[in-house]
Amino acid sequence: MLKHNLLLFLRNIKKHKSSFLINLIGLSSALACVLLVYLWVSDELNKDKFHEHEERLYQVLRHVPDGQGSLATYSSNSSLMLTALQTEVPEVEMATAVFEFDTGAMVKTDDKKMTAIGNMASEDYFKLFSYPLLHGSMHTVLKDINAVVISKEMAHNFFGQGNPMGKTLTIKHGEEGVDGVFTVTGVFDIPVNSSKKFDFVLSYKKFLQRRNANNIHWGSNSSRVYALLNPGASINRFNSKMGDFIKNKNEFNLATVFFTRYTDNYLKGNFENGKQTGGRINYVILFSLVAIFVLAIACINFMNLSTARASRRLKEVGVKKAVGANRKVLIFQFLTESIVLSFFSLFCAVIFVMLILQWFNGVTGKDLVFTVDDNMTMALIAITLLTGLASGSYPALYLTKFDAAKVLKGKIKTSFSELLIRKGLVIFQFSISIFLIVAVSVIYMQLDFIQSKNLGYNKDNVMIFERQDGLVDNMEVFLEEAKQIPGVINASYMQGGMTSFNNSSSNHRWPGQTEESKKLTFRHAHVGPEFIETMGIEMKEGRSFINEKPNNESKIILNETAVKLMGLENPIGTRIDMRGPNMEIIGIVKDFNIQSLYDEITPMALLCRTEWVGTLMVKIQSGEEKATIEALTNLHNKFNPGLAFNFKFLDEQYQQLYESEQRVAVLSKYFAGLAILISCLGLFGLAAFTAERRKKEISIRKVLGQSIAQVTVMLSSEFVKLVLISILIALPIAYLLANNWLGQFAYRIPIKAWYFISAGLLALFVAVFTVGSQAIRAANKNPVNALRDE
Amino acid sequence: MLLQLNNIFKWVNSGGQRIFLLKDINLNIEEGEFISIMGPSGSGKSTLLNVIGMLDGFDEGEYQFLEEPVHTLKEKDRAKLYKEYIGFVFQSYHLLDELTVKENLEMPLLYKKFKGTERKAMVADMLDRFNIVGKKDLFPAQLSGGQQQLVGVARALISNPKLILADEPTGNLNSKQGEEIMDMFKQLNDEGVTIIQVTHSEKNAEYGSRIINLLDGRMI
Repeated sequence: MLKHNLLLFLRNIKKHKSSFLINLIGLSSALACVLLVYLWVSDELNKDKFHEHEERLYQVLRHVPDGQGSLATYSSNSSLMLTALQTEVPEVEMATAVFEFDTGAMVKTDDKKMTAIGNMASEDYFKLFSYPLLHGSMHTVLKDINAVVISKEMAHNFFGQGNPMGKTLTIKHGEEGVDGVFTVTGVFDIPVNSSKKFDFVLSYKKFLQRRNANNIHWGSNSSRVYALLNPGASINRFNSKMGDFIKNKNEFNLATVFFTRYTDNYLKGNFENGKQTGGRINYVILFSLVAIFVLAIACINFMNLSTARASRRLKEVGVKKAVGANRKVLIFQFLTESIVLSFFSLFCAVIFVMLILQWFNGVTGKDLVFTVDDNMTMALIAITLLTGLASGSYPALYLTKFDAAKVLKGKIKTSFSELLIRKGLVIFQFSISIFLIVAVSVIYMQLDFIQSKNLGYNKDNVMIFERQDGLVDNMEVFLEEAKQIPGVINASYMQGGMTSFNNSSSNHRWPGQTEESKKLTFRHAHVGPEFIETMGIEMKEGRSFINEKPNNESKIILNETAVKLMGLENPIGTRIDMRGPNMEIIGIVKDFNIQSLYDEITPMALLCRTEWVGTLMVKIQSGEEKATIEALTNLHNKFNPGLAFNFKFLDEQYQQLYESEQRVAVLSKYFAGLAILISCLGLFGLAAFTAERRKKEISIRKVLGQSIAQVTVMLSSEFVKLVLISILIALPIAYLLANNWLGQFAYRIPIKAWYFISAGLLALFVAVFTVGSQAIRAANKNPVNALRDE
Repeated sequence: MLLQLNNIFKWVNSGGQRIFLLKDINLNIEEGEFISIMGPSGSGKSTLLNVIGMLDGFDEGEYQFLEEPVHTLKEKDRAKLYKEYIGFVFQSYHLLDELTVKENLEMPLLYKKFKGTERKAMVADMLDRFNIVGKKDLFPAQLSGGQQQLVGVARALISNPKLILADEPTGNLNSKQGEEIMDMFKQLNDEGVTIIQVTHSEKNAEYGSRIINLLDGRMI
């Protein structure tokens, strides 16, 4: 029986190649899309899951009122939190504190040097986090103040195949004041699914050593603190108990403490006013939905084509029923066909995925590998079976329901409800396609807007690089020499970076301060004297640092937002207490964006100092970049012999802020393309069948004098109507969702009607083109041939 | 007695009016009969044939087939009954285009749970009996109309039915091909198979032992 069914299936394929191809292309590209999304999603969901205790591993976060009526969320904590958790809180089994370097550190031996990303972590770090240790014990690696645990790659780089244990490395980080010789006590590996990547870990004792005791208090938050809770501890109860933990320690502190799962950090890292608001999980959900929709569109093609060409299979059903086949057997036969087709499509999809995986990795910035393990096999089989059943069930039920006598007499008429279902399915397909087109164009427009938005500073032709090694001590000298290079317009430095700026503090004092504005949190950056000029930031009033030498250390410049929120009437010359007593406000700059455009501009203070500075910037003239860069490289090599000059352009770095949006944009572009392609394939098939079904009608109309153009319009309009309805359905939904997505940006494009109109027109154009070609072909046929058939 | 129809009525409702397709049909058919149903177009010939073949239901009356009351049987039992005892021959042959002659013959057996070896033997037997061994691997489209109908008859016969129902079996054939098919029916009838055919042709009707004339759903 199965053999017989397969035989029929194969011969049907051979006879009706075009619908087979439409189904195969549709289903296999949809399955490939599902497969890729599956790989991507499982990679996302598996991030950090390798930590042995991940179920009990928590991160300490703080909600702090931002002085403007809502809560800001910080992951940084005071190092006092570590000792407090270890000694006072019985629910905590173990805890660790980590200080992460913002920028790279210089690591060298006598003959080699490299920049590397590192952190400083307290003793239990490797007990909480299961980064596998290739050398050393997790209990002791971080015990010694001069210990360093290095990554496998770093060990290989410095010591080759030799045993690195006990060897020494000189590590220098200007910004953080680390400079010394460290002994390798362990080597770790970082699994691919770790969200954090770093090259070395120093002891937290080193961190505590260089902070003097005055600086360690509940208001100085520079470390991340993680805790391993006891098995069975209820996180909700624990969070409500711990909420006022910091407030109880320090009555002036307004922070509320709470714990979140460490592994949630990656996917659900966004907080708004103290509430979890998603994060990357949104994209996981988004792409899963898109994949399901694309698959649904392909399944719909199968259903529509199968029922539309029912007349071809009905005879078979009738004959088989007449010779004694019951309905169950026939349903089984049709389901077998659709399931076999889906497995065949799966086969094509797998090959396709293997071919494009590298490209996909490029687009998504991942290292996905297609390995067939038990989970994968189960998932694939389940998805494919489901696809087969979903696409085959309606045709199977539909085709087998007719009476043999009626079928064989040719008395079956297409019922109204059947047409309704088929049309409904087409509308569904096109609604999704149109929605995706709108989504893609909105995402692109917003990204374009971000790229071109006036940020309040000029990001063009600014080279940025880290303050490394020789530049730590001789930064000013280097900059003076750099300014002598002909192509260099200006040069300066700053703490943090223009695109990632995290430093903030509160508890500042100024005249006329209100209770509410006491809570104001300020970003404050240490910058060079010519920072404002180099970055092209506009002054609103007052003076910049440039002419304030030698007393510029006691001068401060605020941004407009700060002045407004502080309520200062005549700010220039006012003395305030901020990062030092008695600071004189000498100028106000116009607001500039120093974070991503998701966030509003916050109060900001600029101070003219060299401590904590890690980033140098050089503004160069356009047109002579090559010579200028060469000269700068030579200069850099003079200060840092043997170290590569790793610079970036600020505008590139700025674009990286929106990397995940860029990726979403590129991916959704392909998904939208795929959706509309598969939809059109289906429409193409349907149009062909309609033309065939109405062959006789067309011939009679032509014999009676209707022109080819009229027939074409008549045939096309049936489908155009469906696309028009789809537009009506898709656009309001697209509008709502686009509005919602844009809502998360503080600076966003207004939604304009033409995004929707053009998406609709595009879908309409593609549909008309697809159907029209079929209609013209049908209309051009010689009517005699069709009528002779009778 | 093979089958018995008592006061069979069949109607459809159209625009509030009841249109009768079959009106008060009473019919007894013995095993071994060869019956021709005649009448003008729309007189209900095919409907009657389908009712007898249990492909179509009726609205009133009683139908006994081999002492079984068909009108009270469940769909499933009815299917079992006709599967076992009735074979159909159609005017337009209704062979499956995608299957070869051999496969077309084998197809009914698939639904009757015969083993593979049994099926092969039965198909070989039938090919032999109808002299079409040479054509067993051809597709219907490669055969003439007469040959196709021959395969149609062979397919109807393959599971040894007691009754063959033929709806204008020669309607699409030329006269020579038609004659061959009718001769075949005659021969089968001589071997003991009951045959009921619907036909327009007086000549074909004469092959039968009895003629039933229908007009507007009524026997006359």
